[in-house]
Amino acid sequence: MSEEHNPEQGNRILEVSLGATTAEGGTRERVYTVGGAGTFPFLGAGPAAGHPPRIALEICDDTRTWSPIVLREVGDLAGDTGAWAAAAETTFGADMVRLFFTSTRQRGFDDFASLGTTMEEVIGATKYPLIVEGSTEPGIDSEVYRRIGEAAEGERILLGTAEADRYRSVAASALAYGHALVAQTPIDINLAKQLNILLHETGLPPERIVIDPYTGTLGYGFEYSYSVMERIRSVALQGDADLARPMISSAIDSLNVKEVREADPETADEVAIRWEFYAAFSALVAGAEIVCVRHPGTVALLREALPALQEGSHPQEEAYGDESA
Amino acid sequence: MPTVTFLPGFHKADVPRGATILDAAQRAGLHMNVVCGGQGRCGKCVVYVKSGKITFDREKFGNFFTAEELDRGACLACQSLVRNDLRVEVPESSLVQEQKILIEARAAEIPFRPSVRKYYLELNPPSLTDTTPDITRLLEGIETRGGPAANKIYAPLEVLRSVPQLLRQGIWRVTGTVALVPGGYRLIKVEEGNTEGRLYGAAVDLGTTTIVVYLWDLATASVIATASNYNRQIGYGEDILSRVNFARKNGLSRLQRLAAESINQALTEAANNAGIDREDIHEVVVAGNTVMTHLLLCIDPGYMIAEPYVPVVRRMLSTAAGRIGLAVHRNAGVYTFPAVSNFIGGDIIADILACGITEREEISLLIDIGTNFEVVLGNSDWMLSCAGAAGPALEGGEVLFGMRANPGAMEKVRIDGGTLKPTYETINRIRPKGICGSGLIDLLAELIRACVIDRNGHINMGIRHPRVRQGRYFPEFVIAWADETDGERDIVITENDIKNLIMSKAAILGACMTLMDAAGITREDIAAIYFSGAFGNYLNKENAIAVGLIPEVPLDAVKNIGNGAITGANLALISRERRRNLDRIAQQITYIELNAEPSFMDQYTSSCFLPHTDLSLFPGVQRVLDECRIRYGGVE
Repeated sequence: MSEEHNPEQGNRILEVSLGATTAEGGTRERVYTVGGAGTFPFLGAGPAAGHPPRIALEICDDTRTWSPIVLREVGDLAGDTGAWAAAAETTFGADMVRLFFTSTRQRGFDDFASLGTTMEEVIGATKYPLIVEGSTEPGIDSEVYRRIGEAAEGERILLGTAEADRYRSVAASALAYGHALVAQTPIDINLAKQLNILLHETGLPPERIVIDPYTGTLGYGFEYSYSVMERIRSVALQGDADLARPMISSAIDSLNVKEVREADPETADEVAIRWEFYAAFSALVAGAEIVCVRHPGTVALLREALPALQEGSHPQEEAYGDESA
Repeated sequence: MPTVTFLPGFHKADVPRGATILDAAQRAGLHMNVVCGGQGRCGKCVVYVKSGKITFDREKFGNFFTAEELDRGACLACQSLVRNDLRVEVPESSLVQEQKILIEARAAEIPFRPSVRKYYLELNPPSLTDTTPDITRLLEGIETRGGPAANKIYAPLEVLRSVPQLLRQGIWRVTGTVALVPGGYRLIKVEEGNTEGRLYGAAVDLGTTTIVVYLWDLATASVIATASNYNRQIGYGEDILSRVNFARKNGLSRLQRLAAESINQALTEAANNAGIDREDIHEVVVAGNTVMTHLLLCIDPGYMIAEPYVPVVRRMLSTAAGRIGLAVHRNAGVYTFPAVSNFIGGDIIADILACGITEREEISLLIDIGTNFEVVLGNSDWMLSCAGAAGPALEGGEVLFGMRANPGAMEKVRIDGGTLKPTYETINRIRPKGICGSGLIDLLAELIRACVIDRNGHINMGIRHPRVRQGRYFPEFVIAWADETDGERDIVITENDIKNLIMSKAAILGACMTLMDAAGITREDIAAIYFSGAFGNYLNKENAIAVGLIPEVPLDAVKNIGNGAITGANLALISRERRRNLDRIAQQITYIELNAEPSFMDQYTSSCFLPHTDLSLFPGVQRVLDECRIRYGGVE
């Protein structure tokens, strides 16, 4: 495949812009562009290298289903979504916050007003672009995504998650309020492509889609995710425009696996961090442009490891700096 | 034993307590519609229990019925156990009905040279100076009349025994019938006087569901009658697997007998219509799938359905009619088509013969669609084949209002993209009862053009229109309101139906793509796509391409050969050259096992989309759909 691909004039991953500054109608102090690569990740500097990857820390508005290891680590922050979000950027060093509205996933959820309030609170508490995850229940999707989208209007958040059998509500909100969206499919390149086509047909511009090929946890199928990410990047570079989108990866069940849950309390944090780290790090190598983790310690470890990967690939100032400045 | 009485015909059957109503119906001679083979999955064998006691899980199977139907005693015959004497009403829709059976066959321009011939002989009687033995005299007479060399003709003992009397009773004027058999010639009959004009042969399509017979006058090279009927084995399950399972449970000889009886029924009808004696039929050529062929010959098919899936025999076989109970002359040769594998049987070899793939250099794609599908790709130099399960959706199974191509089935459907009003045609132009395969493909194509469904087959519930609604279990689209129909319910297609249809069509397209990949060709290399079978005949070609059932090729490259099995059988009956080639054709075909082909799953997944994930493979469809989206689509 390398002979079909000329990085100088070849195919590139589309660039997706996240966040909006005051000038652009939002309130972000930083905005990011992800994607843009014309080759495989971390192959050295040059125009084909694309934009640097971003690390997101996942937080939630209802901690009942969240990992006790993380809750122990973040302490009181867990009770204050805004403060937790602010800490993610300042204390924990994440590039962005990924807020899960886990409250909407409780049976019988109907407190739609709280979504707007929390959304505004988190927007007020943060300065970087946001990823926001809504409900997973077709019955309430429409209302949930409308509320979230509306509250974040102008901020160009990355809204999640569209799936093949329930994408219309997310897409409608993204279109109406000017957000980008996460398109998730279960570890299959064809399904990923199909969803992108479906989204395209709702009228959503391709440069507002980030692919989530779904990431299996380390030891529980990560190899399939790696393989799909590599294939997606590969066919995109060969000219498949429907797959030339940046990817987001979150090995979402990392902290729920037996090895982590049953770890000796003394070393539980270390185990949790390692488990998240290896999947996230490998996902970066496979081509993910945004990786998401939940343990603050994992963010730190990724921060430490990334420079070695990026050596020569991305100018340091872009990798860590403020693009909007 | 309880007695079950079936209304309205008052058919009765005595069955042990605990037998199913379906068992009783089979004993009473009723052919119930059991698409799933009696597993309670298809919901087609609905009956109404009017009196008596049964055991039936109304909770588990309740989704097949409305509350009102349950009140009237509705249950599934295959899942209801008889407890005591019953009176059961059988609605017409639960019975297998006279189907539009295709007996149209392509008239092919090929030289007429059948394998069986008659020779009228006027022999010199023996004398003291000419003591040539009777049989030698007879065979030399045949040679003199232009027949095969006397020493090449084998005269079996039972014919030999009749020769001395016949020669003398006929005063040395006799007719000998000689058949070309593998390895030489065989004298199959000797008759007094000149019977050269009475030489008939039969071509038989032994289908899993249907049997078709063509009766030929081999003296004048013409078809004199045709007949068709259902395969009587159908009472033991509609699909092959159920039959094989029944055969394994000591049912082999029963299925053999039913196969022979089904053929005999059609042969008798044809012979009666033509006004000939069945005894004058001297050759029978049978094209059937591998399992049907095994069953007809009473060869155990049981090892075909388990790993490593081996048939007993692949070659063309011949036997005497008398040995398998066919009601023609008992020495008549019966020839069964060879097979490529368990799944590519004699019926497909017959299809290949019918469409002449092997006679041309350009590449053809042949598709035979039923519950199982078979695909052959190739030309005169090479051929690849594969087979798979398409699921019953394209034949109306596992679709709420799906039905076979029976009267009342919507066979053509259009939907106005602006008003969403459907227009349809039903078979026999009566009020609609359901939708058959061709109607379902039309629906799928029209729903996507009207932007009611997306490429995944999901109904856009954002459309505010009375025809687009949430059904009891799934979103659905109303095709006909109850007052237009033959029944009491609106005829709808549900999202679940659409999903099943897409999976069925994806299996077929995925198989085509897998073969094309294996051969290293693209859709542009395909000169012709042939559909074989009833399904192809009523199919709208444009819609078949629009939904991605077949690769996109120019419309005039898509051809229906109708019943290719009977056409192939006819050709093998009337042309000895064509028949001789059959084993070679079968040997020439490479069979690709889809389950063992890693790329198939990929091809299947990418085909689970309308029309396909790679839109560049369907440029024409893509153009049309883009236009439709501009006219009718947009965001909710």
